[in-house]
Amino acid sequence: MDITEEKQAGVHAFKLKGRLDSNTSLAFEQRLFESITDGTKNVIIDFKELDYISSAGLRVILKATKALKRENGKILLCAMQDYVKEVFEIAGFDAFLSIVPTLDDARRAL
Amino acid sequence: MTRDMDRQPSTYAFSLRNDISELQTLGRRLESIGEELSLSKRCLFELNLALDELFTNIISYGFEDGNEHRIEVTIRADERVLTVTIEDDGVAFNPLERQTPCLPHSIDDCRVGGLGIHLIRNLMDEVCYRRDGQQNILTLKKNIETISSNPTEIST
Repeated sequence: MDITEEKQAGVHAFKLKGRLDSNTSLAFEQRLFESITDGTKNVIIDFKELDYISSAGLRVILKATKALKRENGKILLCAMQDYVKEVFEIAGFDAFLSIVPTLDDARRAL
Repeated sequence: MTRDMDRQPSTYAFSLRNDISELQTLGRRLESIGEELSLSKRCLFELNLALDELFTNIISYGFEDGNEHRIEVTIRADERVLTVTIEDDGVAFNPLERQTPCLPHSIDDCRVGGLGIHLIRNLMDEVCYRRDGQQNILTLKKNIETISSNPTEIST
């Protein structure tokens, strides 16, 4: 999986490409938590080029969401393929996560 | 005439070592099978996800001896249904006995235990477990959705 990061106006965006599974979730978790430890409050995760996610990926998103909530921060997920979004729905994560259609929507919401 | 109508049953078999890096092998194998059967992206994704969760479960909890083990995967495709069996010689474990987690209402009551099994149950049309001697045998069935049965999908 490739991760591209972009910091802009206090928002840290992570663009994921490829597969987020048990093999790759740890690297992503480390990048995310480095940023949160450095004081990032607003995070966007761009799923546009993510082809695959497993429960290992869901765990990282959940952990980061909890950490950001403690810091009064915010996390937004955007541009998911419909079958990726379905995994969040089956897991029930859509009840408390903000999932928006595009990166622009996510930027506007922060 | 769609290709599904002409399809003869085909069987694919491969084995994976009990190593997390084998997830890549699993993904590649399924991709080529998906291509051959013209599975829709969604169907292939759901199949991969269910097998990923099972495989990850097996290698995380199934083996206590530190030795190399093989997990055997067989996929049989007829006109409408994929039948997948996964066999391992790990400790007896019936994932279907695990309780389905309550879906969270808020982030604070969200727990991730059992999530993999919950996904498998929801993504597959049928899941059966049996223990045969030293083997765990899990059989999954999934109705086939091909690219041609989902014309809005563009193959990439």
